[in-house]
Amino acid sequence: MQHAESGNGDRLDAPVIRVAAPDAAAPASDLDRLKDILLGDELGALDALDARVEKVEREQSELPARLPGAIESAEQDGAERMAHALAKPVAHALGTAVRENRQVIVDVLFPVIGPAIRKAIAEALRNLVTDVNGAIESSFTPRGLRWRFEAWRSGVPYAQIAIKDTLNYGIDHVFLIERGSGLVLDRESAPHLPDLDSDAIAGMLTAIGEFVRDSVGSGGGTLDSARVGEHLLWVVHGPRANLACFLHGVPPPRLHALLEQRLEALHAGFGADGRSVDDASRESLHPEVLMYEARAADRSAALSASPWPMRIVSLAALALLGWMIVRNERANAWVESVRARLASHHGFVLTGIERQGRDALIARGLFDPDAEPVATALGDDAPRVTLDTVGYVSTDDAIVARRARRLLAAPQSVTIAVDGGALALGGRAVAAWVDTARERAAWVPGVRRVDFSVASESDEAARARDELDTLAGSLPERRVAFVRETELAPDAAAVFEAIVGDALRAQSLAATAGVSITWIATGTNDDPGSDATNARVRAERARWLADALAARGIADVRTAADDDASDVSQRSAFLRFVLAEAQP
Amino acid sequence: MSAAAFKLCMLGDFGVGKTSLVSRFVHSTFSEKYLTTVGVKVDSKKVDLPGRAPCKLVLWDIAGRSHLDALNMTYLRGASALLLVADGTRERSLHTALNLLMQARTLLPEVVAVLAINKLDLVEQWEVAPAALEELRRTLSVHETSARSGEGVEAAFADIATRLAA
Repeated sequence: MQHAESGNGDRLDAPVIRVAAPDAAAPASDLDRLKDILLGDELGALDALDARVEKVEREQSELPARLPGAIESAEQDGAERMAHALAKPVAHALGTAVRENRQVIVDVLFPVIGPAIRKAIAEALRNLVTDVNGAIESSFTPRGLRWRFEAWRSGVPYAQIAIKDTLNYGIDHVFLIERGSGLVLDRESAPHLPDLDSDAIAGMLTAIGEFVRDSVGSGGGTLDSARVGEHLLWVVHGPRANLACFLHGVPPPRLHALLEQRLEALHAGFGADGRSVDDASRESLHPEVLMYEARAADRSAALSASPWPMRIVSLAALALLGWMIVRNERANAWVESVRARLASHHGFVLTGIERQGRDALIARGLFDPDAEPVATALGDDAPRVTLDTVGYVSTDDAIVARRARRLLAAPQSVTIAVDGGALALGGRAVAAWVDTARERAAWVPGVRRVDFSVASESDEAARARDELDTLAGSLPERRVAFVRETELAPDAAAVFEAIVGDALRAQSLAATAGVSITWIATGTNDDPGSDATNARVRAERARWLADALAARGIADVRTAADDDASDVSQRSAFLRFVLAEAQP
Repeated sequence: MSAAAFKLCMLGDFGVGKTSLVSRFVHSTFSEKYLTTVGVKVDSKKVDLPGRAPCKLVLWDIAGRSHLDALNMTYLRGASALLLVADGTRERSLHTALNLLMQARTLLPEVVAVLAINKLDLVEQWEVAPAALEELRRTLSVHETSARSGEGVEAAFADIATRLAA
């Protein structure tokens, strides 16, 4: 059996009888004909193999041009099979590309990664703003303070407590919607809600989402949420299905994250048809399950949150509170101190006291003009206290005494004392004053009874008595100074002469005034020296002065060596006198 | 177990009676104002099929247009069937319906399509020739309907449901 070639050169497998072509120039040799007879079949098989190899090579060379069309036809015939066949090599190729051409992959994914990151950041910021708004709006209300106490007690962040208590919400419906068609893949609703046309609602929701996206015109944007009154719609988008959640109230931000996680899990668990949802996934979409898990997530986050920021804030708040309490207590104590000083001030009746600013006061009350100025009672606090006074007549004994001295124009020789409204006048005064005072004493406001015992004296005797009073005050100021022991200092002689002069004048005045004088010489010392030595020196100096005065005619001078021992200012001796009414 | 749901889009020129057909077929949930605002109104209808499990048709009544813009094309995504509606009294509306079908097939090559020639109650005023309908029936399922009387409406939708459930 032999083979033949077709007219276009293709070699055919069909066996044919090979007939040698007549060729006069090169007649076939017997050997060639013998080869044909003996090896004809093998030569035919070789030719067929050559043809197959050539066909395979041609198909391989045409493969790049035919491959796209082949993939498209395979996609139409069986998309799932094609996807399944390409899944592993594509994943392997993608992994290799990421390892070897990372920058190319980054450049390609950049338009996708950017919006995804921005969306995540925006969501996080939105959650943060929600927390901050909730915290600020409720910070200083009674309810907010109760939350702060609960947060401090439990260690749970304040924002979590506020959100837990204020954000009452409920999930009405959860729709799992096929992204392309808008058909409902699953719908879970809260109990006791009226039935609704879920297919129509899902369809309209999908249509409105497309409409919004088309209207906004921004590439890749989606309708993520909508709010009408207290009703809220959240749409979480996935590559094959969207999750639409109809809520009322203000849901916690963690619920949105939970819905995103749930949608991701649903995508991983879709059936082979890409639409079917198993019972477990269906159950996980139920509103009560979602709300329970959202609360659990809140509690978990609260427990895992660091307590230190809240502790620090609490400590700062306590410190501030303590500082405020201490400051308030100090201010109250100061007010009470001022109140006590004003209340004890003679001639002032405190009727009211109130704070003016942080450290100033207004004190209101009644003030007798004969009283000491109120500022003397306030001392250093006087500039911080404003007085608002009204005049009045005090019956306080001290004020009545001051008033009596002022109204009666009593001389210093007249003693005035008031006890329980009883005015006691003593001492001595000229007869004219005594007569007037006796008449007017009872008129002094606040005086209920008068005990008048002022002695009358002539004008000359009174003047002598007044001068004696003056000398009694000035004479002890004249000091005879000593260098040591009883050795006189240089100016001692002049001082002594002055003392002698005053003493003689006093004797003369005493005679006029009708009183007797008792002289007393006193010695003093400075600091150094033992007590015994100093006492001796003081006695010697007093004796020296008494003797010197006696030598000048002033007799009967008593010494007071131990008198006024505390006067250690100088080494000196001085003279003083005591008057006594002359015996009749 | 819930009935299988199919997305059915109503396409046709303005005023051919798409919305009236839907109103005759279902009790609408949403207002027709969505047709002039969003451009579509969605309803659903459960259809009982003899000898088969019932199915649900989700009707997307797309606002009347002579051509499909980008937004309308997005409304078509995922549709399993098209109900093309033409007004028998306006032959031009038939051409529009067929043009819309051609456009829709670029997105949905395998979609089930049924043609409804509406306003059968005005059949004496029809411009669409019977011969043309006969010619169309060779490639399309054609129903003569009247939204006003309800004639042929249930049959048209039942035909679609049957083809989808097959």
